[in-house]
Amino acid sequence: MLLEVRDLHVEFRTRDGVAKAVNGVSYGVDAGETLAVLGESGSGKSVTAQTIMGILDTPPGKVTGGQILFEGRDLLTLKEEERRKVRGAGMAMIFQDALSSLNPVLTVGDQLGEMFTVHRGMSRKDARAKAVELMDRVRIPGARERVRQYPHQFSGGMRQRIMIAMAIALEPRLVIADEPTTALDVTVQAQVMDLLAELRREYRMGLILITHDLGVVADVADRIAVMYAGRIVETAPVHDIYKAPAHPYTRGLLDSIPRLDQKGRQLYAIKGLPPSLTRIPPGCAFHPRCPMARDVCRTDVPPLYEVTDAPSERGSACHFWRECLHG
Amino acid sequence: MAEPILEVRGLVKHYPLTTGILFKKQVGAVKAVDGVDFHLDRGETLGIVGESGCGKSTVAKMLVNLERPTAGEIRYKGEDITRLSGRALKAVRRNIQMVFQDPYTSLNPRMTVGDIIGEAYEIHPEAAPKGDRRARVRELLDVVGLNPEYINRYPHQFSGGQRQRIGIARGLALRPEIIVADEPVSALDVSVQAQVINLMGRLQDEFDLSYLFIAHDLSIVRHISDRVGVMYLGRIVETGRDAEIYDHPTHPYTQALLSAVPVPDPEARERRERIILTGDVPSPTNIPSGCRFRTRCWKARERCALEVPALAVPAEFRYARGPAAHDSACHFAEEKRVVPPAEEGAGPVQGPSPGEGPFAEGEGPSAGGPGASEGEEPGTVGPRRRGAHREDGEGGADGG
Ligand SMILES: Nc1ncnc2c1ncn2[C@@H]1O[C@H](COP(=O)(O)OP(=O)(O)OP(=O)(O)O)[C@@H](O)[C@H]1O
Ligand SMILES: Nc1ncnc2c1ncn2[C@@H]1O[C@H](COP(=O)(O)OP(=O)(O)OP(=O)(O)O)[C@@H](O)[C@H]1O
Ligand code: SF4
Ligand code: SF4
Ligand SMILES: [Mg+2]
Ligand SMILES: [Mg+2]
Repeated sequence: MLLEVRDLHVEFRTRDGVAKAVNGVSYGVDAGETLAVLGESGSGKSVTAQTIMGILDTPPGKVTGGQILFEGRDLLTLKEEERRKVRGAGMAMIFQDALSSLNPVLTVGDQLGEMFTVHRGMSRKDARAKAVELMDRVRIPGARERVRQYPHQFSGGMRQRIMIAMAIALEPRLVIADEPTTALDVTVQAQVMDLLAELRREYRMGLILITHDLGVVADVADRIAVMYAGRIVETAPVHDIYKAPAHPYTRGLLDSIPRLDQKGRQLYAIKGLPPSLTRIPPGCAFHPRCPMARDVCRTDVPPLYEVTDAPSERGSACHFWRECLHG
Repeated sequence: MAEPILEVRGLVKHYPLTTGILFKKQVGAVKAVDGVDFHLDRGETLGIVGESGCGKSTVAKMLVNLERPTAGEIRYKGEDITRLSGRALKAVRRNIQMVFQDPYTSLNPRMTVGDIIGEAYEIHPEAAPKGDRRARVRELLDVVGLNPEYINRYPHQFSGGQRQRIGIARGLALRPEIIVADEPVSALDVSVQAQVINLMGRLQDEFDLSYLFIAHDLSIVRHISDRVGVMYLGRIVETGRDAEIYDHPTHPYTQALLSAVPVPDPEARERRERIILTGDVPSPTNIPSGCRFRTRCWKARERCALEVPALAVPAEFRYARGPAAHDSACHFAEEKRVVPPAEEGAGPVQGPSPGEGPFAEGEGPSAGGPGASEGEEPGTVGPRRRGAHREDGEGGADGG
């Protein structure tokens, strides 16, 4: 495994009490593999990613348990300087909102070039040449001229591609993309996802793609991890999960999306709302919304069971996964 | 056919671009909406799709009189409401209400839910006698599935989905005939989106509402619409019944748009053809001559730069009665199926699927209603391969 997150716990101190944003997340990604992390707003997707990248706001955030193994080394126990070195060269992140993550007063060329002057000790001239090369690489037309322009002079899709260029500049082994296309139109989204997939293949990067779009997941992912209230509730290869989900929440999500290839009138709607993280329900956090809930669900937290009936490696945090899988 | 409840002809909205501080000089215009035609029948849903900046919200604002058109007509039951003013306009406005995209900013945070929904009665006191208003608001809360006891709460005490229900209740307060919904579920999570969409479907049946439903999510639009209009750079470029647009698109832009939509079915990855457009959408201050899509169209030829294609049934389909015979503004319209038909038994089945255990019942009353299963053209049943629908596509286009 390139990256393995084990039983990660992260809390935030808030006015309403302690918000348990991440409650024992475990997932992993191999080199050259795409893992999609799927979940609704507030389920802890970004906080997990920020913890991996070492950019979590502390305080108010606090890692209260778990391990983050990157190429076998636990980032959480490494010395600060060592940790920074591993992360700096080994992993990179792409954010949802490119405009606010690029520096508005520096040219795109300077920002890209900085990656090489700071991390690789290149001269400004060489770094500039590298920047042009990267912009070409992410298919920005007229890179040689546009390298002198500022972020606001690019369209949303192009800015996102510049973010991708920054992320791949140092050829990281792992890239985390947090909703990289949510702010973009579908035709532009298709361009950007296409580019990401191509680069991932070419550099054999591991990619963690954070999204709430079940369509995007089906298009690009190898494996999925579904999050709910700060936990992974199901993990499986992408083909298996769409065919037969082993957790009622996943099943509810799949049933609740309208389809492009079918017309219907009534959608299945998961009743109720996701829980407040300061008051996570006891037992299975999904039980107040679950159509299959029974007494045991209200008291016993389901572990991530191994789904043994499946030919591939799967996990489900449901006491009754077998019933869900075959029902 | 009966007269449409709403008919829009040649609708235009240009925002002037000016320079100078003291003496303003107009140097151009943002052509946000640049000649839009459509009609809406009673009880029907017309979906409007298109990418960011194509003018969807501007159309919506003109319909509810938040913006004045630069040119064109908006006919409500035959009467051009752009020419009305005073009391006559007010009377018409009552019947066309809007639901906004953003449940977080479209509600005044300092007003209670009761005041927000009841505000309409201050402007239109004739709609409900003073003594009845609280009761009316409670009834509306109940209709949209909120606890009437919440009448004195403030917007921040509700979740996003609940706030959108408040927005819908406000839209319904005056018992309008038409609801213009501008991205009503775009800000919501998937599980909550389904709740609001089902609610809108139920209300439509219950109150015989006509919807103009604007969204950039093509799957949601297909789900809810009887007919669809595709907008590009201020114009509708293709329009037709849902199956005509989704299964038999003839305009290159629609085809590209549909092919780009991710489908929640990993098996479809290999079966799908992607049309990846190059370039960016041109600025609405500088619209290309001839066909406005030509700068991104892979089929563009000389004629496309010279002649503006009209929104009409293309000549090659005019005498064929198939689903390709619908309005499309392209000189070289061709049918091309880009959304593979749903495979039987692929993935968890959605929609009314009796006997599906705990997942059979959705939220709210029963399904059905008009258009529950229309759009099923003959011959789409059963699993099919690429070659099969190719043939089919051509079949619909014969005579051309
Ligand atoms: N800096 C912070 N201070 C306090 N709480 C925080 C902070 N950052 C995140 N949280 C809380 O942690 C929880 C998980 O947030 P996170 O951003 O991981 O959600 P997410 O799954 O990425 O959602 P979204 O899809 O909306 O991006 C949320 O309830 C959020 O309010
Ligand atoms: N008041 C205004 N003054 C000048 N230009 C405007 C104004 N309002 C809108 N526009 C421009 O008109 C065009 C159409 O905008 P509109 O908001 O209708 O698009 P839209 O299709 O609703 O997009 P989105 O999907 O992003 O909501 C855009 O280019 C926009 O910048
Ligand atoms: S453990 Fe119980 S409540 Fe939780 S998902 Fe499974 S059946 Fe539902
Ligand atoms: S008219 Fe020409 S440029 Fe326009 S869509 Fe048709 S082929 Fe393309
Ligand atoms: Mg997030
Ligand atoms: Mg809009």
